[in-house]
Amino acid sequence: MMHVATIQAADQNGAKAPTRRALAKQQTRAKVLAAARRLFSEQGYEGATIRDIASAAGMSTGAVFANFADKSDLFREIMITDMVALGEDMRAAARHGDGADGVEETLLRIFTAGYAFYQTQLPLARAAFSVGWSPEDGPALRGSPPVQVLRGLITEQLARGVDRGELSQDAQTALRADMLFDAYLSNYPQAIFENWNLDSLQSRARNQIGILLAGVRKR
Amino acid sequence: MTSPPELPPADGEAASAATAPSAIAGAPPSARQTQKEATRNRVIEAARELFDTQGYQGTTIREIARHAKVSVGSVFTTFASKYEILSQVMVNRLDGLHAEFDRVTPHLRGSTADRLRTIFAVHFAFEVRHKRLFLAYIAATYDWTLPPTSTPMGRNRRLQDVIRDCLEKGKAEGDVSPDIEPQEIVDLLMAAYVWIYRLAAWHDADAKTMTAIMDRQIGLIADGFRVR
Repeated sequence: MMHVATIQAADQNGAKAPTRRALAKQQTRAKVLAAARRLFSEQGYEGATIRDIASAAGMSTGAVFANFADKSDLFREIMITDMVALGEDMRAAARHGDGADGVEETLLRIFTAGYAFYQTQLPLARAAFSVGWSPEDGPALRGSPPVQVLRGLITEQLARGVDRGELSQDAQTALRADMLFDAYLSNYPQAIFENWNLDSLQSRARNQIGILLAGVRKR
Repeated sequence: MTSPPELPPADGEAASAATAPSAIAGAPPSARQTQKEATRNRVIEAARELFDTQGYQGTTIREIARHAKVSVGSVFTTFASKYEILSQVMVNRLDGLHAEFDRVTPHLRGSTADRLRTIFAVHFAFEVRHKRLFLAYIAATYDWTLPPTSTPMGRNRRLQDVIRDCLEKGKAEGDVSPDIEPQEIVDLLMAAYVWIYRLAAWHDADAKTMTAIMDRQIGLIADGFRVR
């Protein structure tokens, strides 16, 4: 369970007493990140420039570049922070009820946790999709450890379903997990462009999960 | 590439530029219009090549103009934005694909799943050489520095219609469950399909590989809509 190890490692680093200089650097980074988050949400990934971000954070462009290699580095950092938090929400959702209500309900809770997480920051989700589809930054984002955690969480539920005899042995777990994850992602455009609320997203996801598990569900 | 049929202008600005009085009511095109049409086609062709090789974000209007051997100013009198050029490039390409669908669709045989497999195989074979272009188009959908002009990607209505028809036919013939909401299946298939493009662009997969993955995914989705 690589993701758990990663999160623990991050905590340990944070627990070390930082020097004053490191602390100041951390504060600068936090300021830049907050300004960037706001501007990406207001103007999209393409619309927000480093210059705008620097000025919103009340510092020079040079100071921003001293902390981040470029705009995509800055955006990736925001995404990764969010994905880690989202992963925790999803894991909590998965644990809820200890999976006693079955794979489909558990997956639905995981998906819903995701939609709820982004409900108040859809513009940022939209920026993330824009970056995720770009040939340059897409592979890095999709392959990043926190995104792998989200996929891993889905795979885990399928594996548990097989272990408990709820799903048949031949569940093609890897392919099915990919498809479930893509189905989860595929509903974001409805939220972003067509203002679907949480209930609509949830009921759509419920049907999608049902369809994607129909072939392996034991009855 | 042949000249496109009259294209609906995407926004007000372009509309006023494009709708010269003589364009209406079948009057013979003036020399100026013919010139304009030629510029338009050159720009589209140049843009298609550049988007395909260096991506959408990486291509500037200036480069497109240079590549098309026209002035930057004349690009802007023809198109309101870079995105409008991109959507026109995609519309032209899709016209070709849809002609291919029209040719193939009447000959589809077998189960609904097999028909769907053929539809997507046709698609991949047609588009595989332009994966970057396709990705650029999807990415641009989410870019909101753009004016809200064109059809967002993933809502390629025509492809969705072809799939929906296929599912409805399956219902009528009894191999698709009557309880299924076709749009849900359409969305799942579209999700699988665009995802495969991304895989293909990142790992340079060929049409055969893309089709093989899609075939498996269609099989899995078909488990969910089959009559049992």
